[in-house]
Amino acid sequence: MAMHDSGKRPWTFWFFAAFFVLFVIFLYGPMFVVYLLSFQGEGGGLTFPMNGVSTHWFGELVNPESRSGDIASSFQRSLGLGAMVAAITVFLSVAAGLGFRRRFLGSGVLFYIAIASLIMPGLFVGLGVNVFFSVLGWEPDWTTSGLGSQLTWTLPFGLLIMFAVLGRFNRSYEEAATDLGATPWQRLREVTLPILLPGIIGVALFGFTLSYDEFPRTVLTSGTENTLPITIWAMTTNVTSPALYALGTVTTLVSFAVVGTALGSIALISRRRRGGDST
Amino acid sequence: MALLLIFFFFIPVLVVIAVSFFDYQDGSIVEAFIWDNYRDVFTSAVTITEYANSLKFAAIVWALTLLIGFNVAYFLVFHVRGVLLQIGLFLVCTVPFWTSNIIRMISWLPVLGKNGLINSALIKLGIINTPLEFLLYSDFAVVVGYVHLFTLFMVVPIFNSMARIDRSLLEAARDAGAGRFRIVYEIVLPLSKTGIALGTIFVVTQVMGDFFVVKVMSGGQSTSVVSALYNQVAALQYPPAAASAVCLLAVVTLMVAGILRVVDVRKQLAS
Amino acid sequence: MNAPTNGNGRIEVMNVTKKFRDTTAVANLSLNIDHGSYCCLLGPSGCGKTTILRMIAGHESPSSGDVRIGGQSVVGLDPVQRGTAMMFQSYALFPHRSVIENVGFALKMRGASKDERNGKARELLQKVHMEKFANRLPAELSGGQQQRVALARALITNPRVLLLDEPLSALDEYLRLRMRGELRRVQKELGITFIHVTHTQLEAIAVADVVVVMTQGRIEQAATARDIYTAPRSAYVARFIGGQNVLTGVVEGVAGGLATVRNAEGARAQFPVDKANPAKGASLFAAIRRDRIHLTRNSTYRNGDELNAAVGIVHAIENQGTYVKVTLDLTTEEEFVAYMPDGEYFRDPIDIGDRVVARWDAQNLHLLEDASGGQQFAAADKDVALM
Repeated sequence: MAMHDSGKRPWTFWFFAAFFVLFVIFLYGPMFVVYLLSFQGEGGGLTFPMNGVSTHWFGELVNPESRSGDIASSFQRSLGLGAMVAAITVFLSVAAGLGFRRRFLGSGVLFYIAIASLIMPGLFVGLGVNVFFSVLGWEPDWTTSGLGSQLTWTLPFGLLIMFAVLGRFNRSYEEAATDLGATPWQRLREVTLPILLPGIIGVALFGFTLSYDEFPRTVLTSGTENTLPITIWAMTTNVTSPALYALGTVTTLVSFAVVGTALGSIALISRRRRGGDST
Repeated sequence: MALLLIFFFFIPVLVVIAVSFFDYQDGSIVEAFIWDNYRDVFTSAVTITEYANSLKFAAIVWALTLLIGFNVAYFLVFHVRGVLLQIGLFLVCTVPFWTSNIIRMISWLPVLGKNGLINSALIKLGIINTPLEFLLYSDFAVVVGYVHLFTLFMVVPIFNSMARIDRSLLEAARDAGAGRFRIVYEIVLPLSKTGIALGTIFVVTQVMGDFFVVKVMSGGQSTSVVSALYNQVAALQYPPAAASAVCLLAVVTLMVAGILRVVDVRKQLAS
Repeated sequence: MNAPTNGNGRIEVMNVTKKFRDTTAVANLSLNIDHGSYCCLLGPSGCGKTTILRMIAGHESPSSGDVRIGGQSVVGLDPVQRGTAMMFQSYALFPHRSVIENVGFALKMRGASKDERNGKARELLQKVHMEKFANRLPAELSGGQQQRVALARALITNPRVLLLDEPLSALDEYLRLRMRGELRRVQKELGITFIHVTHTQLEAIAVADVVVVMTQGRIEQAATARDIYTAPRSAYVARFIGGQNVLTGVVEGVAGGLATVRNAEGARAQFPVDKANPAKGASLFAAIRRDRIHLTRNSTYRNGDELNAAVGIVHAIENQGTYVKVTLDLTTEEEFVAYMPDGEYFRDPIDIGDRVVARWDAQNLHLLEDASGGQQFAAADKDVALM
């Protein structure tokens, strides 16, 4: 019976509402400025006024003659790396999340390592992996050291999300499956994973976007080939054209597409299950 | 997972600690056991300033994000009616988190810049004649950048703890004669403690570990511990960089341990 | 802004309507509750009883109409200004405050010194036998203990009205029985008005002076507990309170205050109609307590052979300890139940499938004024034991 006073709203409501609106403007305003400026005319500069409207600077991104470096291939690298990180994060977080439901030897230690790795300054991890690789005599590369250092960041996130998801998971579903004769593997595939699917999509989303934007861990470990954020970082120091903004618009669109797909599918799944299940 | 974390996290950390005692020469590491790197960290006036700078930023940003985060979460939880609207507005707050931090930083350039939006608007309105220089490439800009990036880390955990507060507790307090602000102080604030602590850990560690916001937003004028560290790495001076990293780690760990002492965060993580 | 203490706790709810968006929770409802009485608002969930309670408490405001306490309109006033106190469904004890801080909270809000509020809180904790637990946190108490603390916390301001929202629903059966006696004792001791919301018929009848049976935002009947039971006004009340069979039929004739009524299966009964003179062919409804039915086995009896009797097949038998509940299939849509004393039943047990005749005394029938709402509750069989 969650009925709340539906009378007149107090003045504090309007105060907080105004505060909230300002916060949202603060959050989104600058981003919209960038989107707008990325359509700057060919002769336009880094700030307003707009000197006409064009898609010139988007073209500049794929123009190999431009000063902005090899954007297309670092973009591809970032997408690939994000996908790998997402896949590994999902696999390991789900396994670890399920494993953590039963205390095992060293589970406490592993939990604290995960938390520590979450709050560890990113550059520290990057530095460590970099030095470690040079001690081993290995060449740092985005597919090995880069991937590994990003995972130290995404795995703890994934694990925490799985804890939250599993905290709400009713174990009697699994017991019912066993009761009905499912083997452990069938139980996992037919019951546990489908029920956890929205949470798993959430983990994948975290894995991908955290990797896609990751900078401090990757900058020292990506080796000779750069990921997108590192390319953008380099551009901030030497590119002074709206191409930078155009790149920002493109990467944000990619992010939004990924977020939209993930949230959309989560919403779709939970709507289909909305038959009495109100979680 | 354990192996991965040990290989890419635990061992590297140990390696860094080990390297911090090594000597270095001409860009290569020399195995040795010396305290010089630490002596340099503790005796150099530059590093002291860097630490002071980082701590100052951390304190200011913590206060601002807490203020904003608490109010935003409070608004979402207690003032917005209807679960759908609540989820919608919550998503509005969290979506920027999924987009590139670097791009979000860069997006401030045309707003705060010398010929940026704010300056041109103020000049047009006749409030100022010459552009305000302090808006960009300054400590002010750095704080704006941090708040922009990290407020979310406050909003989410505080929102979570507030959403768990049983509404009838507020009604019971109102029944007992508590006014609006008294309810916030006596009930909401103490019951949001774990969320505030979690948010604080995130914000403080992020600020202490950051270097690109400082670099972009201060235009290289301000340095933090990590941006100095990055410069050392770039100069291939690994051992002093490692020593500095270990010191930073110690500071951050102390801060987190301090927070954990005061508030039992596991309560929220566990459920 | 001192709250009135122990003032007049007479409650008047006057033509109150409450709408939430497009649903009407309370529809033009009026209700008077005397000072110092124990009133139960009884009804299924969603009937509007909690909404009324919250409007009296000041946590909800009526869309239209007036609420008065002690003769004064309280609409728009803060809970404190009303001199009411509320005990919440899940107690709403502040989880971060000790028991004594919880109890003394209202005094703290009024600016009382620590000594003063601790002294008063201790006094109240004694009253509910919880003084030993003063320094515990609510999470460290059992459900019954939490309930006592909630009671002490609500009473610390000397309210003139105590509002209880399903106060016993979180307790197990044993504690529920004990605590409801406790609530009644405290109410008598303090002499203030208690308004108690519940969906359990037994609970309402056990504690209340006045029981208000509600459905769909309306009051179906407001009367003493005994009257609600022995003289339900409507088929709805009779069915909801339980322990009654509702009989219906068409009037064939009226003589000497008794109407002869014939049902669809041909069974005939006499309904007491007093001075009323229902027309031939009118439909009447009457209730009869289930413990006033006598059953005898008979394989040849046919409906209509005698007055105030009906034939049926035994459908279910449940031993209830002191009596046996026998459910008959009378081929009417409604179930017909007889409570047989256990001694009588076990002398000659009847079986499922047996053909039996149910007989009753016409004087034990109670004519129902109003058949409305009857069908909605046909299936709910909440038995009330006559003990």
